[in-house]
Amino acid sequence: MAEVLTVKIREHAGKHHSRRLRNSGSIPVVLYGHGKENVCLSTPAEQLDAVIRHGSRLIDLTGAVSESAFIREVQWDTWGTHVLHVDFTRISADEKVEVQLLVELRGEAPGVKEGGVVEHLIHEVQIECPAAAVSEKLEVNINSLKLGDSITVADLKLPEGASVHGDPTAVVVHCVEPVEAPEEEAAEAAPTEPEVIGAKEKEEEGTKEQ
Amino acid sequence: MALMPKRVKHRKSQRGRIKGEASRGNRVVFGEFGLQTVQGGWISAATIEAGRIAAQQYLRTEGRLYIRIFPHKSVTSIPLETRMGKGKGEPDYWAAVVRPGTVLYEISGVSEEAARMCFTRLAHKMPVKVRFLRRRPI
Repeated sequence: MAEVLTVKIREHAGKHHSRRLRNSGSIPVVLYGHGKENVCLSTPAEQLDAVIRHGSRLIDLTGAVSESAFIREVQWDTWGTHVLHVDFTRISADEKVEVQLLVELRGEAPGVKEGGVVEHLIHEVQIECPAAAVSEKLEVNINSLKLGDSITVADLKLPEGASVHGDPTAVVVHCVEPVEAPEEEAAEAAPTEPEVIGAKEKEEEGTKEQ
Repeated sequence: MALMPKRVKHRKSQRGRIKGEASRGNRVVFGEFGLQTVQGGWISAATIEAGRIAAQQYLRTEGRLYIRIFPHKSVTSIPLETRMGKGKGEPDYWAAVVRPGTVLYEISGVSEEAARMCFTRLAHKMPVKVRFLRRRPI
């Protein structure tokens, strides 16, 4: 079931009014899509934080607007603690959307006990799936990942009706033997100062004049 | 070898000042966990390297460490017991200028406990206050 958010019409746009709104405990949001006009809205910060914390992307808007919406983009502050602004797109439940989902590893790979190292190569995958079926993240079970094994994009368990964008043979996670970092070259060979662009030309000109 | 640019336009740079917070490079991109500065400052190439070694010694061959900053700025100094004047000093070291909120290092392929432990060791080497950061789902 989709989460419910209460929204109000935001009459003034711009950073000055948005800041005032945030200080009063609301978050500026915008709703667009389906060929209709954009609507500037605001929603209580507490409600929005709860929705994001629960990981739901499909929202039912009530109040000034009564529509189904999908969280398209979330803007965070520098510290990643407060939401600054959210983009909603109008959507119907059976409509397909393109989303980037986080890939999270679950369990412990037996390959680690054999002396291997688990390398997580792809952290996010882009999928196209029905809006109602979008999950917060894709969980990958690595309990059967032995030394030398790998899990590809094609092996991921996707939500119903979803398809992956990109190379299905790309390796998401693998268990390989540890590679020791190559020893650095002797410091003597390394230059102590970087090359200055245009310095050589000047020197050459100077020698010619002499 | 310490980090420094391969080619530069000018050998020496002005000091500049650090204004505001990091509006880019402030989220975890490559790994699962990150180390974010709370203060702004200059982080020398030697310090970046010291941090890398501290983290690598803890991680051994497990996981992967990403360095998100690079020392682009040359810092000059004049020798001791030198009279004032005679122009700007010679380049002494290279430093990365970081604003509050910049992610310095990232780790992937380890548990959160191990990442926290690793960053605690690394944080001792840093000249700025830092905080632990996770990758955001949205």
